[in-house]
Amino acid sequence: MLSYDYVKCNDLRLACQELEEGEQVYLLAGGTDLIVGMRGGKFSAKTLVDIKDVPELKVLEEDDRGITVGAAVTLNEAVVFAPIRDNVPILAEGCHSVGSYSIRNRATMAGNICNASPAADTAAPLYCLDALVNIKSSEGSRSMPIKDFFAGPGKTALNKGELVQSILIPRPYPEGKGVYLKASRTGSVDLATVGVAVQRWGEEVKIAIGAVAATPVRAFSVEKAINEKGEKNYADAARLVHDDISPITDLRGSREYRYHMVEVLVRRGLEQTLGV
Amino acid sequence: MTEKLVINFTVNGEKEEKEVIIGQTLLKFIRDELHLTGTKEGCEIGECGACVVLLDGKPVNSCLILGVELDGKDLITIEGLSKNGELDRVQKAFIDHAAFQCGYCTPGMILAARALLDRKPNPTDEDINEALSGNLCRCGAYQEIREAVKASAEKK
Amino acid sequence: MADLKTVGTSVPRKDAIEKVTGSAEFIEDRYMGPMLYAKMKKSTVAHGKIKNIDTTRALKHPGVKAVLTGKEYPNRIGLYLIDRTFLAVDKVRFWGEPVAVVAAVTEKAAAEAVDLIEVEYEELPGVFDPREGMKPDAPIIHEDLANYEIVPIFYPEKGTNIANHFKVRKGDIDKGFAEADKIIERDYYVPQMQHVPIETHKAAVQWSLDGKLTVWSTAQSPNVVRQLLAKSLDMPMHKIRVISSYIGGGFGCKAGASIEGLLVPIAQKFPGHIVRIVFNREEDMQGTFTRQALYSKLKTGVKKDGRITALQYEMVWDGGAYTEYGVNIVRAAGYSSTGAYDIPNVKTDSYCVYTNNSIGGPVRGFGMCEMQWGIERQLEEIARELGMDPLEVRLINGMKKGSTTASGQVIHDLDYDKCLKVVADKIGWGKKEESRDGKYRGKGIAGLVKCPAQPSNAASSAMIRINEDGTAHVMIGATEMGQGMLTAISQIASEALHIPVDKIDIKVPDTDFTPYEWQSVGSRITYTCGTSVKRAAEDALGQIYRVAADLLETPQEDLSFDGKKVFSAKNPDLTATIREVADSCKKCTGEGIAGPIIGRGSFVPTNMTNLDPETGQGNPGLFYCFGATGVEVEVDPETGVVKILQLACSIDAGKAVNPQLCTAQLHGGTIMGLSTALYEEVRFDKGIMLNRNFTDYKIATIDNTPHMDSFIVETPETNGPYGARGIGEQPMIGVAPAIANAVSDALGVDFNTFPLTPERVWQAIKNKK
Repeated sequence: MLSYDYVKCNDLRLACQELEEGEQVYLLAGGTDLIVGMRGGKFSAKTLVDIKDVPELKVLEEDDRGITVGAAVTLNEAVVFAPIRDNVPILAEGCHSVGSYSIRNRATMAGNICNASPAADTAAPLYCLDALVNIKSSEGSRSMPIKDFFAGPGKTALNKGELVQSILIPRPYPEGKGVYLKASRTGSVDLATVGVAVQRWGEEVKIAIGAVAATPVRAFSVEKAINEKGEKNYADAARLVHDDISPITDLRGSREYRYHMVEVLVRRGLEQTLGV
Repeated sequence: MTEKLVINFTVNGEKEEKEVIIGQTLLKFIRDELHLTGTKEGCEIGECGACVVLLDGKPVNSCLILGVELDGKDLITIEGLSKNGELDRVQKAFIDHAAFQCGYCTPGMILAARALLDRKPNPTDEDINEALSGNLCRCGAYQEIREAVKASAEKK
Repeated sequence: MADLKTVGTSVPRKDAIEKVTGSAEFIEDRYMGPMLYAKMKKSTVAHGKIKNIDTTRALKHPGVKAVLTGKEYPNRIGLYLIDRTFLAVDKVRFWGEPVAVVAAVTEKAAAEAVDLIEVEYEELPGVFDPREGMKPDAPIIHEDLANYEIVPIFYPEKGTNIANHFKVRKGDIDKGFAEADKIIERDYYVPQMQHVPIETHKAAVQWSLDGKLTVWSTAQSPNVVRQLLAKSLDMPMHKIRVISSYIGGGFGCKAGASIEGLLVPIAQKFPGHIVRIVFNREEDMQGTFTRQALYSKLKTGVKKDGRITALQYEMVWDGGAYTEYGVNIVRAAGYSSTGAYDIPNVKTDSYCVYTNNSIGGPVRGFGMCEMQWGIERQLEEIARELGMDPLEVRLINGMKKGSTTASGQVIHDLDYDKCLKVVADKIGWGKKEESRDGKYRGKGIAGLVKCPAQPSNAASSAMIRINEDGTAHVMIGATEMGQGMLTAISQIASEALHIPVDKIDIKVPDTDFTPYEWQSVGSRITYTCGTSVKRAAEDALGQIYRVAADLLETPQEDLSFDGKKVFSAKNPDLTATIREVADSCKKCTGEGIAGPIIGRGSFVPTNMTNLDPETGQGNPGLFYCFGATGVEVEVDPETGVVKILQLACSIDAGKAVNPQLCTAQLHGGTIMGLSTALYEEVRFDKGIMLNRNFTDYKIATIDNTPHMDSFIVETPETNGPYGARGIGEQPMIGVAPAIANAVSDALGVDFNTFPLTPERVWQAIKNKK
């Protein structure tokens, strides 16, 4: 059993203060990555600050700016939130791909991105939706595009004393279909071998891919071919994805298979969103 | 460093006040402090589902929750599912369909199934697969489990 | 079998209420009061000399009571080949091998102390591929192999890493190949897998002040734990008590003696205290038995009409660091090496080779999944070469009444043809489904056979106590790990005793009170324990009749017992309730007749023999159980994802004692087979197990479970209780080859190994292009 202090915090300001002043302070929301990480020695905490009941972090709402998903909102809450399901179903798919049903009763979207795994299932959809990460600290607030938030495997752009308050899926919402296609070893509860999000925006697409680089990446080469050059042959377009990714070999799949699968899933994503 | 905190919670319908060691998982707290040993440990990383309990009615992996997080919550473990000696419909259906073998995953499986039926009284096969895919059964009683859950659904 | 009342019916499980309410007691659920907690210090090298172990800091750590290293307790232990020590002595042979054990007042203190132990190793070159390990210049892992004690049916080669070389020489192999029209030869590989029961290994040990040792363990076989500890510790058996609770899945990994030995010496330092160890998932996967990898070369000669004339099988098994149990898997695979087929000329060499990988050991199937993978794959290639239907090739060569096995044992009670045909019919064999949506469909079939791999003297025994009210207790030494043994055994008791099954109580074993049982392994309990229970019940029934005859003053032959009362067929007025018979056994005169009724029954095989050391000929099989698996798949050629559309399985149970539980075993084994066929493979890097948790080692979930159709064939086993034979392991054996055959059929590519992960299937398609 590990030893650390536990602070239950119901005030966002105090949570920020704990983060700023303490050493090795970790935030506990869903805890599904944190507790596994502490058990495995990946994180060594002196203090856990439990933020799951901070009112500002429980926000799940839609307004003029878009959909705001507070940091303590669970994935299951997000999956069934009507504005997400109706306007950005690709994000509901991503949330739904994380872990098992009982994990999603605890795990949060903010936790999924703060863990900063390149394979995070919510990340690729968030990249396609140009989501903004709202960051809070004692100094104030700032927002940052999701693509800038991921800094490397397990690394985020958060500075000491900062926490993710919420994730904003900004308006306007995409016009057109979006899909999150995940390849995994079992097709059941599993981490992504690769995860491909393809979102149609009117006549254009945005494509983001997980588990193929140090962070999730956008497939700009493919997007350019479709959006700027008007490429109609999706197979040809999908082949360009090799320039956007740099996968590695690990227990879930080889580099070679990842290259192949990304190409297949990008093509399928294009077919499914833009029509064959 | 404070080692223990006092928490208030409800377990299987009974209000309790207890000290909990910080750092102890809810799973260990349930087994070692509440002495409710029906909740099982299988992996400690949320992959097997043997430790699933209902927290405020929702199935969760108790190995990924701290005991202190139980404060103010309502906990149901397998011991709290039968009422006054009467088995829950799901428990009865599991017996009728031989939906378990070694019985080690069964408490978590039954609670996850109960929660599914509470939110979807007439689940499809896909609903059942989704709700129970985080509960591993190495004996492979899955087909019988699927049948048992369907049989304990509300009759249409 | 005429007029069976209980056998053949699906009575609810004896453990049902306990298991659905969470009240079923597993070892760790047992409240034992204050305990000492043990943790292991594990080796960080796969092969190395232990230069020094410094336990000073660990011993000073608050809460630590003792630290023990292998040097202090060099006793050896093992089931067949006594090659293991409780803790590593002088050298380590696999990564993660326990080198020291700590006992402390809390688990936390024990874990912290483990980190304070410093071990210095001199790393030695390792062996990670058994084929390399067989080479003359390979590093030697067990220098003392020649001096190890061994059951004399195994053949280690001294000065090498070969722990057993088992040979079959049947017929004339050269003649067999000379007669063949075609010869097919292929290499196959089956990787290691892990049992991963959801309950890990756990044990607790207590030495009493008068020197009695009590062990609580997840062991499948408490009597063997007692036997091995008695031998290793040089103790009399009445001073050792082994208690088993319900077991949260075994599948072989809890057979023999496993982790108990870690606790025995350290607990001895604190008489009266209970010392407990609980393996976490990582320790369980890496530190307990693993299914041995198999590298094989199979060559068959076949006539144009499909008849196989010769089979030559070379099997090289990765025995891992210790092969105390594994040597017998290698032997079993050898004497069964023609699978479910009657082949006249056979030459088999099966080698068990030490490596510095995790310890090899028994897993559901006991070598049959690995060995029959090659056979069932090769039959597919034979069919293709000859342009024949793969089912037809199986039917032509399949065993029939009077066929002989590789070891020359004559087979009697079977209907293998029917097993094959029912699954073939179910999946619409012969009707090729067209590919659609760019996906390919294919069908595959595979047969299977297995006999229990047990020594010829592996015995069982049972006692039945009739209570004063006519209810009964059945006492046996078998364990309940999910297979439904308690229920099936009480049904056999009920049938033979005429007492209803709900009036019979049966519990898990405690060697101080329950009679001898060799092991709950090998799908043998229904047959062996069942036979002894049937005999005990008949013994008790005989006593009931004798007492009743005396009580009613009527000839015994006229009496019948309906479970409630004994009555005379000739005179309806002459009845005695079972309560009257069992209770005081007194006549109305007050004279005593007999004391309480206790039935006893024993069993030891009488149809088995040792095998000839040079030819492997003889009778190793207690009974042979056949079955088959049929599969239809749909393969996405772009992603390599295999979807199972149809899955049918059959087993010849002889007589299903409880059809519902028999079907459950059939489904469970099939799912385990499917899981290994598609997902499971233990990955090593120079002996380091890389995927030792459920994040990295994936097993099938409910989501991966297709609908299964199952068929119980019933060809009575002449000597089985009510015609029954064991079926627990068998359903797993045919699944991987059946799936691979179906994928092969769909794509026209071959697989010599599994799991058929999406990546492997994609690779195979790519390589074909």
